[in-house]
Amino acid sequence: MSTNRFFPGADVRDLHGPTRREFIYSLGASLGSVALSALLADEAKTNPLTPKQQHLPAKAKSVIFLTMEGSPSHLDTFDPKPKLAEMHLKEFVREGKQKSAMESGKRYYVQSPFKFAKHGQSGADMAQNWEHLAKVADEICFFRGCTVDSVNHPTAMYQMNCGNRFGGDPGIGAWVNYGLGTVNQDLPGFIVLPEVSYPQGGAANWSNGYLPANFQGTPLRAKGSPILDLTPPVGVSAARQRKNLDLIAKLNAAHVAQHPGHDELAARMDNYELAFRMQMQVPEVLDLSKEDEKTKELYGVGKDATDAFGRKCLLARKLVEKGVRFVQLYNGSWDSHDYIERAHGNLVRGVDQPIAALITDLKQRGLLDSTLIVWCGEFGRTPDNGVRGGTAYGRDHNPNAMTIWLAGGGCNAGHTIGATDELGMQAVEGKAHVRDFHVTLLRLLGLDDNKLTYYHAGRFKQLSQFGGTVIKELIG
Amino acid sequence: MKRQIISILVMQLVIGVAFVQSNASAANNEQAEQLFVRRIIPLFHEKCLACHGKDEAQIKGGFDMRSLASMLKGGESEQPGLVVGKPEQSPLYLAVTRKHDDWQPMPPKEADKLSAEQVTWIKDWIAGGAFWPDDARAKEIAKANSEKWSAEDGVSVKTSGGLSPEWTERKYKSEGLWAYQPVKKPIPPMKDGNSIDAFIAARWPAGLQSAPLADRVTLIRRATFDLIGLPPKPEEVEAFVKDSRSDAEAFAKVVDRLLDSPHYGERMAQHWLDVTRYADTSGFANDYERGNAWRYRDYVVRSFNADKRYDQFVREQIAGDEIDANDPEQIVATGFLRMGPWELTGMEVEKVARQRFLDDVVNSVGETFLAHSLQCARCHDHKFDPVPTRDYYSIQAVFATTQLAERAAPFLSNENVTGFEEKKYLEMRRAEYLEVLARLDDQMLAAAQSWFQEKGIDPARWNAAIANAADGKSPTRTPMSSRREFKDLFNAARNAIMKEGVPEDQFPPKLVGFSPEDYGNERVARKGLERLKWELERYEPYALAVYGGRTRQYKTVFTPLRMPSDRMTAGELEVTCVLTGGDPFSAGQKVTPGVLSVLVAAQQTPIPDTIEGRRLAFADWVANAENPLTTRAIVNRIWLWHFERPIAGNPNNFGSTGKKPTHPELLDWLAATFVEDGWSFKAMHRIMMNSEAYRRGTRHPDRKTLAEKDPTGTSYAVFKPRRLTAEELRDAMLAATGELNPVLGGIPTRPEINLEAALQPRQVMGTFAAGWTPNPLPRQRHRRSIYALKVRGLPDPLQEVFNAPAPDFSCERREASTVTPQVFSLFNGQASHSRALALANRAMKEAQTDEQAIARSFALAFSRQPSQDELQTCLAHWRDIEALLSDTKTVASKPPLEVRRDAVEENTGEKFSFNERLHAYADFVPDLQPTDVSTHTRALADVCLALFNSNEFVYVY
Repeated sequence: MSTNRFFPGADVRDLHGPTRREFIYSLGASLGSVALSALLADEAKTNPLTPKQQHLPAKAKSVIFLTMEGSPSHLDTFDPKPKLAEMHLKEFVREGKQKSAMESGKRYYVQSPFKFAKHGQSGADMAQNWEHLAKVADEICFFRGCTVDSVNHPTAMYQMNCGNRFGGDPGIGAWVNYGLGTVNQDLPGFIVLPEVSYPQGGAANWSNGYLPANFQGTPLRAKGSPILDLTPPVGVSAARQRKNLDLIAKLNAAHVAQHPGHDELAARMDNYELAFRMQMQVPEVLDLSKEDEKTKELYGVGKDATDAFGRKCLLARKLVEKGVRFVQLYNGSWDSHDYIERAHGNLVRGVDQPIAALITDLKQRGLLDSTLIVWCGEFGRTPDNGVRGGTAYGRDHNPNAMTIWLAGGGCNAGHTIGATDELGMQAVEGKAHVRDFHVTLLRLLGLDDNKLTYYHAGRFKQLSQFGGTVIKELIG
Repeated sequence: MKRQIISILVMQLVIGVAFVQSNASAANNEQAEQLFVRRIIPLFHEKCLACHGKDEAQIKGGFDMRSLASMLKGGESEQPGLVVGKPEQSPLYLAVTRKHDDWQPMPPKEADKLSAEQVTWIKDWIAGGAFWPDDARAKEIAKANSEKWSAEDGVSVKTSGGLSPEWTERKYKSEGLWAYQPVKKPIPPMKDGNSIDAFIAARWPAGLQSAPLADRVTLIRRATFDLIGLPPKPEEVEAFVKDSRSDAEAFAKVVDRLLDSPHYGERMAQHWLDVTRYADTSGFANDYERGNAWRYRDYVVRSFNADKRYDQFVREQIAGDEIDANDPEQIVATGFLRMGPWELTGMEVEKVARQRFLDDVVNSVGETFLAHSLQCARCHDHKFDPVPTRDYYSIQAVFATTQLAERAAPFLSNENVTGFEEKKYLEMRRAEYLEVLARLDDQMLAAAQSWFQEKGIDPARWNAAIANAADGKSPTRTPMSSRREFKDLFNAARNAIMKEGVPEDQFPPKLVGFSPEDYGNERVARKGLERLKWELERYEPYALAVYGGRTRQYKTVFTPLRMPSDRMTAGELEVTCVLTGGDPFSAGQKVTPGVLSVLVAAQQTPIPDTIEGRRLAFADWVANAENPLTTRAIVNRIWLWHFERPIAGNPNNFGSTGKKPTHPELLDWLAATFVEDGWSFKAMHRIMMNSEAYRRGTRHPDRKTLAEKDPTGTSYAVFKPRRLTAEELRDAMLAATGELNPVLGGIPTRPEINLEAALQPRQVMGTFAAGWTPNPLPRQRHRRSIYALKVRGLPDPLQEVFNAPAPDFSCERREASTVTPQVFSLFNGQASHSRALALANRAMKEAQTDEQAIARSFALAFSRQPSQDELQTCLAHWRDIEALLSDTKTVASKPPLEVRRDAVEENTGEKFSFNERLHAYADFVPDLQPTDVSTHTRALADVCLALFNSNEFVYVY
């Protein structure tokens, strides 16, 4: 191990090339094996993926990050604005320089097509179509103060996921694994469950960035092979593959004997064996058939509207149970510029029951305290709309106001923190930049953003980019 | 909970100060004041004031460090920030020690913590009375001591000046300034032999022996991959092994031969394009194709092959259009300035997007040519290096008149313009989109009639509008519909009626009667037409380029931009200002075009503030032999390309935080020699490759001593092996099988990539992009990897897992991590299986016996013959596999002519599916199939698959 967690710049890794040990760990990170864990047990101290001490005491040990790609409207979900009903279809004039073409033309205030009610002892505001989530309202901490820098999807997505608007930086899941290691060396510490099509900005949303490749998010694809080329082409039997592996091993053995001192060779050899075992293991992990019917029903598995996201939520719970540190789920697109009643209506129907089930299920298994659930989009939406073409009301992008919510993981459940103005245009109370939200998220996991740094290209970098402030009100 | 430094009892403090002052001797006072001026205030500026004073509105914890009074007042903790004379009771001191239980460590970032010496300064300053002389007195003290201090503390550097006098006057440790020193050619420490070896010997660890020189087979493999990115042919290996000349002479001939190969340019271009971030698409939401980016890629290949002088290469890429606007080559060269990801959608603020381009281009020029990441000076003066933010914006001013365009540039005779007939597939797709839109238009027109009927509204007015629109005489051609190239009667009529002021409830809503499928299909088709405009650029004589001109306002850019004829008169002449905090809406002081002021001595031509000519004058400074960053940066890169490690550890960052050169004299000697030899890359390769350092073997006879004497691996006592890059890996397989089509250049090719990745629906702003369809013919697909279409949003998974860099950031050096997905791609992937079959087929054809077939496979894959053991092992394996295969049937794979996509439609939030026809597959000729060969050959393919997966194949020694 030559990488110092906090002062990796001081290392000599790139001059030597990675050591064999590091290579083996990379395998663990990308999907490892029990045998590997045993092999490494005595070297746990130096394994970058070994579970590590939190910087500070905290409850959350893992994260399930629910990304509603395209950005849900806070005004039509969790931040009601009765004033909009009065203003409905009154003309709206945007001020300021930060105006994009999206905001040109005549604009009107638009009321929410959804009715709202208060739920739980906390009296949380929720649109009425969140029927299931309403039942677990007291587990949730709503945050209405977050702001971001971008008005367009890919850059906002990158900022929410990586802290940097232009992509290329490590995703939150990569940082969390870098800080805490992973308790299960058999599975990647950072797993992504994308939609069939990746979000805007693609795989850069879960990249390891400048962190070592060990920390990269592993997407389990929604359709087809969960991992590309997990299995050989049709017609190649397991017996044949085993034989081919043996031949590679023989060729490599002769080669390694001639190249003593080239540590990478042995690591690469081990990698082939691991891959072979994983071909069996991955489908097992993904197999939900052994879950009892009641649980599947709870998540809405088997019902047309909820099946897809229900499966993802159930799988996320399984993965967290198995010790995966960070699971990110994608859903969407929530980019409802038009027809918001219909589009948001359908989208909420798809996720409401599964998400409520996830909270309920984690709680009954005693895992909710140690699992932080985050629900967010990449920005919020505007109270006004161009009403392009008549009555197809929708909402545009709004970086100045949004609703994020947390559940479990030691968050301040049963509270609504921060507020937007009376039209939901801007956060006005408890306003905090997304970097503060990131710092808070790390803090809930016992990580100090200022200590979780990595030397790259001449400076120490961190998730929040330049540091931020913990939003104490979000912590229970 | 730790407290933060907070408020104070002001009275107590004032009394304290008075007390200390009255009791201190004059000499002590002066010493204490000096400590403040020399150490404390610069330290506050460096470490504290960013959060505790710079921005009055956002002072952290309420603790303001701009004056003694405010510090004594403290912050939110309501305690004084310091107790004069008593460091151990002073929160300021306790916080910087980072050890006190009550006070949060400061500065918060572990990485920013004060050194032990700095902590002592704070302690001494408080203990000595916390003197804070006023500005006039501080200046006086600084002036009186300047000579003494600079001798002790480091050197001042003259720049254009920072935002604060403290920054401008700050001192630098001289070792951090190595890169700005003029290059002086050192005399090699030994007269005889290769100068590189002499410089390396001069820093050789005592008592360390060197590895013996590599054998000829190893050496030719190393040199061939290094210079052309391909394995040597068996005949070439044999010729070199049999060459009766001395090792050195024979190897020099090999190097000469490789430098003459047209593939040399391809290999070097790959290195260069890593640095400049080449891709064929623009990234972000739309990821539109940059249809003519390939011409820049080929320009780079050509330039290396012609051994173009590097100074010229630099000038052309920065300012080709200003060198000769009538030479297409020069226009194409400026594609460099366009390499960053960029787009302007309707969702973005135009000024922000423009600023993104300017920031990108400034940083890219800095990293690429000057080994300086200039973005560190975008929001503030550089924290560590003598680069004021003013310089950043002065360089930005050079590009303030640089505008983006796909400029007319006739094809040159040395460009590969073949294969344009593939355009027909795009036209088929276009026709299909038009058909979909026409069908949907008809459908909406019909639905409109039903709508009128249902509502009981008279459709007469509507029908008249339709008739008008159909005649084309409709006044309703809104900007929106006029840019549409498809049948759009419904919307034309609707817009016309709206314009007439008819109330909205009197005519049908937009997209009337649409099902979720219709919504989805309409968007796919509409966006598809838009995307095709960019793809069709491939075949047109335009270049991804820039021009000099005024800045015009674009709301969105959804079609290639052409250079306007009124470029010098229409639009805004941008005035560049320092942007406070890098924010394009916070303009500060105006700046004029300039260079890095620390190296202004290398500037011979002043930069004009005319619209044109700025970049050329700037390029002259970059490419000036006296610019030490430029020459050191490039020889450092060439060194990295040969030795797997640079001399200065961060090829994109020569600043004080980058790694220092391990062999500074060698670096300077190379830089000076490079210029003397006419900025010739090829001359530099010869110098480096003919050194013993390059020809050394990778096996050290005494690894224990090596580890002890050379723990950082920088002695060059042993050569460092490397894993093949992603591109080399694929190209080497194609070369071994004989399938590689060695043609140079041309429009991007589309090899077969993992089929699931190829057809996975890919989001592009509100809808989905077309899938990846490979070229129909094997010879089109089997081109070198550098020519494969590089889509930012859809990297080839095989390339990606083997660390091909994502083109969003400049890649100064390739990573070579070992991760499990590499096994899946290389061992399970279809491409590997196809190559293995092709190698088996070739070996069978070129051999008479099974033994010879194995031997041939080894020669083609490893450049050597198998050992007796290996031969027997492989023959046995072959027989075993053949036995396994005897009862399995093979089926030829059929290409998919259509793909069905499932997605969630944005308008409805409902699932929808659509079919996409994959036109090029209709003419698809597959690679050699298992059905085409005997079971015997198929079984040999498994041996070949093992060869391609073995360590010997993927590492070069």
